Amino acid sequence: MELVQVLFGKAGPLLAGLSRFILPLVAVVIVVRCVRSMLRERYDPETWAYLYLPGEVMVPLRHWECIIGRAKSVDGQIDDPSLEKMHCCVIRNADGEWTVYNLGRGVTMVNGQEVFPGGEPIADADVLTMGDVSARFVDLTEEERSSLLQYRHAPGRHVRPSATLLLLTVFQILLLLQQMVYNPDAGVGVAMAFGILCAAQWVYFTVLRASGQTGFEPELLAFFLSSVGLSVAASKLPGDMLKQVILLIVAVLLFIGMCLWIRDLSRVKSVRIYAFGAAILILAATRVLAPQTYGAYNWIYLGGFTIQPAEFVKILYVYAGAATLDRLFVDRNLIFYIGFSAACVGLLALMGDFGTALVFFVTFLIISFMRSGSFATIFLAVGSAVLGIFVVLSLRPYVLDRFAAWGHVWEDIYDKGYQQVRAMSAAASGGFFGQGAGNGWLVDIRAAETDMVFGVVCEELGLITGICCVASILALAAFAVKNASAGRSSYFVIAGAATMSMMLTQLILNVFGSMDILPFTGVTFPFVSMGGSSLLACWMLLAFVKGCDTRARGSFAVKRPEKFSGGAGVDDDGGEPAGDGYVREGRG
Amino acid sequence: MKKVTARAYGLLILVALTILGMGVYIFRYARDGGDWASFYANDSVYKNGVLNRGVITDRDGVILASAGEDGFHYADSYAVRRACLHLLGDLNGNIGTGVLNIFRPEMINYSFLTGTTTEGGSFKLTVDADVSAAAYNALNGRKGTVLVYDYQTGEVLCMVSAPGWDPAEGVNFDPNDKSYEGAFINRAISSTFVPGSVFKLVTMAAAIENIPDIWGQTFTCTGSDIVGGQKINCAGVHGTINVEQALACSCNVAFAHIASQLGGELISYYADLYGLTSAHTLNEDIPTAAGSVPAADTAADAAWEGIGQYKDLVNPYAFLRFVGAIANGGKAVEPTILAGKKCGETQLMNANTAQYLSEMMSYDVSYEYGTWSYPGLEMHAKTGTAEVGDGTTHAWFAGFITNPGHPLAFVVMAERAGGGYAVASPIANAVLQAAVNG
Repeated sequence: MELVQVLFGKAGPLLAGLSRFILPLVAVVIVVRCVRSMLRERYDPETWAYLYLPGEVMVPLRHWECIIGRAKSVDGQIDDPSLEKMHCCVIRNADGEWTVYNLGRGVTMVNGQEVFPGGEPIADADVLTMGDVSARFVDLTEEERSSLLQYRHAPGRHVRPSATLLLLTVFQILLLLQQMVYNPDAGVGVAMAFGILCAAQWVYFTVLRASGQTGFEPELLAFFLSSVGLSVAASKLPGDMLKQVILLIVAVLLFIGMCLWIRDLSRVKSVRIYAFGAAILILAATRVLAPQTYGAYNWIYLGGFTIQPAEFVKILYVYAGAATLDRLFVDRNLIFYIGFSAACVGLLALMGDFGTALVFFVTFLIISFMRSGSFATIFLAVGSAVLGIFVVLSLRPYVLDRFAAWGHVWEDIYDKGYQQVRAMSAAASGGFFGQGAGNGWLVDIRAAETDMVFGVVCEELGLITGICCVASILALAAFAVKNASAGRSSYFVIAGAATMSMMLTQLILNVFGSMDILPFTGVTFPFVSMGGSSLLACWMLLAFVKGCDTRARGSFAVKRPEKFSGGAGVDDDGGEPAGDGYVREGRG
Repeated sequence: MKKVTARAYGLLILVALTILGMGVYIFRYARDGGDWASFYANDSVYKNGVLNRGVITDRDGVILASAGEDGFHYADSYAVRRACLHLLGDLNGNIGTGVLNIFRPEMINYSFLTGTTTEGGSFKLTVDADVSAAAYNALNGRKGTVLVYDYQTGEVLCMVSAPGWDPAEGVNFDPNDKSYEGAFINRAISSTFVPGSVFKLVTMAAAIENIPDIWGQTFTCTGSDIVGGQKINCAGVHGTINVEQALACSCNVAFAHIASQLGGELISYYADLYGLTSAHTLNEDIPTAAGSVPAADTAADAAWEGIGQYKDLVNPYAFLRFVGAIANGGKAVEPTILAGKKCGETQLMNANTAQYLSEMMSYDVSYEYGTWSYPGLEMHAKTGTAEVGDGTTHAWFAGFITNPGHPLAFVVMAERAGGGYAVASPIANAVLQAAVNG
């Protein structure tokens, strides 16, 4: 407050009052710019190899994992009755080596040699025989690969990320101004926290921009949501801001680390098996070690920090659950995965963390559907889940209580509807524009900063900003779906979709649970809810969204095609920014 | 790959669910946001559970309630506070139909767009504080209710219910105390009572429309008669009288014969037709209690039904609409308590019937009650002395005045307080004198 007085004198409150109406508009522009940028850019497919059929008919292979067969739904369609619908698949690894796997009952041969289970390597100029059809396999040449980038569109041409970042900075300044004016406890700590966040995002942007990246939409949305989250933290615990902002920086660093890690698919695959074990082990250890807190065993206290290990297991779950195409058609892999999922969900239920169990379950449905494409599997899973729910409800009466209050919270304002009616009251009190950051009362109710954070956001920042937060997650989901079409490996496509199903489920449970549209389960709103474990996990999961973005210069979690040099994958991406950095159509 | 990427669209189910849920939320927010925001836990507009903003005034700007940082205050005048208690309601929410409860969103000046603001709401009611105080004073400690409204504009001038308490003092009595029976209920809208002879207006209307020679009929009253095998007692010995005289002197014998000509079914039908058995809503938000007039099977019961006894129960508010319609050529202008807010009108009865009833109610006064009882008032009315069954009677007086500039309809009901003419009629006179001359 003193700071605002020094800077603006008596105009401070006036400016803050005015800023309440500007802030939601800035939020809308930020989200709209990110969405436009995601949707405006053309998603040109990459081409990684060709098949030349007799008569020089060319079939381009546009992914690292391609199914070839007679069916329309395959990647390389060869309309010949001698082929199976899904005849074989060719898979490229990160080192540029290709392998052929036979899929159906048909016969596949490389240079006349039959392909056995386990696959057969295939290289440039090899002859691939499927049924009665023989095709010449042609790998990309060095020149083709390096020119690949130039023919594709880079993001950032239509909607400049730097301008969006500037708007985000304005958004943060407005939040800070309001906190300073409205929140009597906001001091230097709050100002420093916003300053550090702002500096961090500019450093992040500058470094990546200098290295030639032009796609920033997912990070911008995450920074936007994190800014809102930081404001919630400032309203709740203004004295604890250093911890919050340090967590945020660590989260961004972990995100960067995760992005760099998943650049190399073979590296990802090599440790995937450990992720299964680690997930189960962590959940089991938590159940045993964690003391009971509010009826659940999901918090561990370590050296002054409270950690929610289940949040980190989310990353492991996605990491282990996604799979490359060669593994998808082996039933035993799917069965193993279903067993693994059942163990995770079961352990979470034992911990009493039903919200997270539900998040895992929905993610399981999405992953298993993407892996198998089979509704039968899903019906089976849903059936067993319904049974499981009955068991849970009969064992845990307090879960049943939540269902009993659902839809009737206004009839039980002192007990089971206590939190929801307050969240709704505060949210309505905020109107479209909010009472101002730091000017709310809901945040003082227990768990408001996590489970009812949508109410806090609506109260302090208004419904418009609240909708912007929801829209940000929706945009990330739409982005993951859109990117899937140009995905290199099914691993990243599945991981991206799984990540977003996780975030969406959390959002649905958080927002609609606190507003009595669904039973109140107490899960966090991605990036916005306070809580270190959740924040770190969300940022790390975001790497999987970056990992499925194959637009030219779109994502540093994805290697540029020209950077692959034949055999050994040289991992050097500190390259020069090309000209103005934006690839123009028709150049080169 | 195509297979897997196509399946990624499955994620859009969750996206669609989210959008659907947000739609539901925004719809509910638009519909109920005012109720949510005015919930007592909203510390933005409540201080320790007490409203901290908003002003309610009467039609002349007299403050009936005001809330600010310094707390919550009712009207300065003790009589006004008590007279308007049930209309406004109390801070503890004991009176659920009170303005303070029903119009909380307006009180905090809630708007869908801006939520709550620093400015409280300021709204004006149609009631007149003085007329209300006069009504409260005229009830003079009796239980009961007084309703007065402008039958041309619908504006309610007075809606008083007793017993009550001084809201400035809070509830400092024992709610089980007999003398505070029903203190938390606004009798004007939330209760039903045996109507007694005021119900003869309904029977009369049915007779006008269904008995062709009603105007030529005469009745002989010797103080009692046997109708349908049951003895019907009358309050007096009226001799041979026509139907106008029968209504004026409220002859039970005459109305027993009229009712038995009509039958219980038809009388019930007219009670329904005139809205006496339905629940209404005042200003679209305040619910009223529904009366009931079940159709009697036997001639004897039908006779009592037509006299306003049997199982008849009537809500004072519904009866106000009914007499308002008689005054206004059959058209009931729906009552409103919010200044400047019209609530529409309903054609309750045939204009001719309304005209006949109106003339008969005027005749009641000139023939029976005495114009001197209502100096300066062009009174049209009907008394009622309703037997409750324990030897006590509710005193009713309902009707309207046609003084130029004062088109007012009224219902006075004093619970277990005696005769309609003796008790209720002077109360009505006092209140209307205050309304016309005050």
